[in-house]
Amino acid sequence: MDELEFLKKDWQRKGEALPRLTYDEIYKMIWKKSSSIVKWIFYISILEFIFWTMINIIATDAEYFEEVKQIHMYEMDIVLNIISYLILIYFIYKFYMNYRKISVTDSSRQLMKTILDVKRTVTQYVWFNISLFTVTFIITFYASLRYLPEGRKIIENATQAGNETLFWLFIVGVSVVFIAILLVLVWLFYKLLYGILLKRLRDNYKELKQLEV
Amino acid sequence: MPATNIETPTANVNKELEHQFVTELENNQNIVHKVCTLYTNDREAHNDLFQEITIQLWKAYPKFRGESKFSTWMYRVALNTAITLYRKSKKRLKTEDYDSVIYKIRTEEYDPGEEQQLKLMYDAIRELGDIEKALVFLYLEDKDYGEISETLGITEVNARVKMNRVKNKLRSIINP
Repeated sequence: MDELEFLKKDWQRKGEALPRLTYDEIYKMIWKKSSSIVKWIFYISILEFIFWTMINIIATDAEYFEEVKQIHMYEMDIVLNIISYLILIYFIYKFYMNYRKISVTDSSRQLMKTILDVKRTVTQYVWFNISLFTVTFIITFYASLRYLPEGRKIIENATQAGNETLFWLFIVGVSVVFIAILLVLVWLFYKLLYGILLKRLRDNYKELKQLEV
Repeated sequence: MPATNIETPTANVNKELEHQFVTELENNQNIVHKVCTLYTNDREAHNDLFQEITIQLWKAYPKFRGESKFSTWMYRVALNTAITLYRKSKKRLKTEDYDSVIYKIRTEEYDPGEEQQLKLMYDAIRELGDIEKALVFLYLEDKDYGEISETLGITEVNARVKMNRVKNKLRSIINP
């Protein structure tokens, strides 16, 4: 007999050696809380939505609006805020719809794909926020130099010293470095967080997908 | 947080459903235990995974309309939970006595050579990846390629190719 047929025979006889739970033991289990990866992803996603929305809210207090008025960015800031809330609603809707699609009775491949889709929605939201933050940062920085007394003085000094081009290059350089550091930090954080949480899932999904090539 | 939608049934229907479910699972629990022995290395993790599978089965149960056999439906949920939903806790290492559960049965029927061969094969299976384990499991449970491909979400041809690879891998371990 082939070794594997032999193994199969042995395997199918294993029944009586397996643990056996009673009706009551199983009954108790159905009321326990799940600690599945889907639950983790759900809570982390909610936290992410809250975190990025909070940052937005905290950053836009009354004092902030006064400053924004000074640098002639008030209207633009309002527009950006409305856009960002609309997009937040869109993402939460998309997240919820994807989340509802997760079904443990799908095929393994489909289940993995749906979970990764949910996670991708949240990641897209985070990148959207970072982009928005970057754009706001650049515009505000530029506007501050143009319209705030301190900013004007700095530009004047630079112009008098005769190296205006150099000055602007310096400003661009500083901005790029600052944004790059920020992006790397956020990226690292996500790499670590989802690396721990989703590595196995991603590997398995890749394996199933490779089968299709 | 439910991973699937559950309509909240009224109290009576609920009781009935609970009873039905627990009875079905009690009768078919071997399937879940077998999945647990493949995907965990100690008793505590085994129980942990069993519990998670039970919870997932229960959550999905209202959607189970009996189009397929309860056991068939269980294979899918149990494997999906083991492969995808369950988070292994890394804090525990393998305990010695547990391994024996899987081999110790009926060994008196085999000669020492056969017993050694079985042990080698079970050890080899434990070293396989999650997907490979699932393939071996479904093979050992005598599932046809149609069911295997549907459970994993790959084509039948690919299920065959992959299965042959895994089988050869196992054969080469016992006949080096």
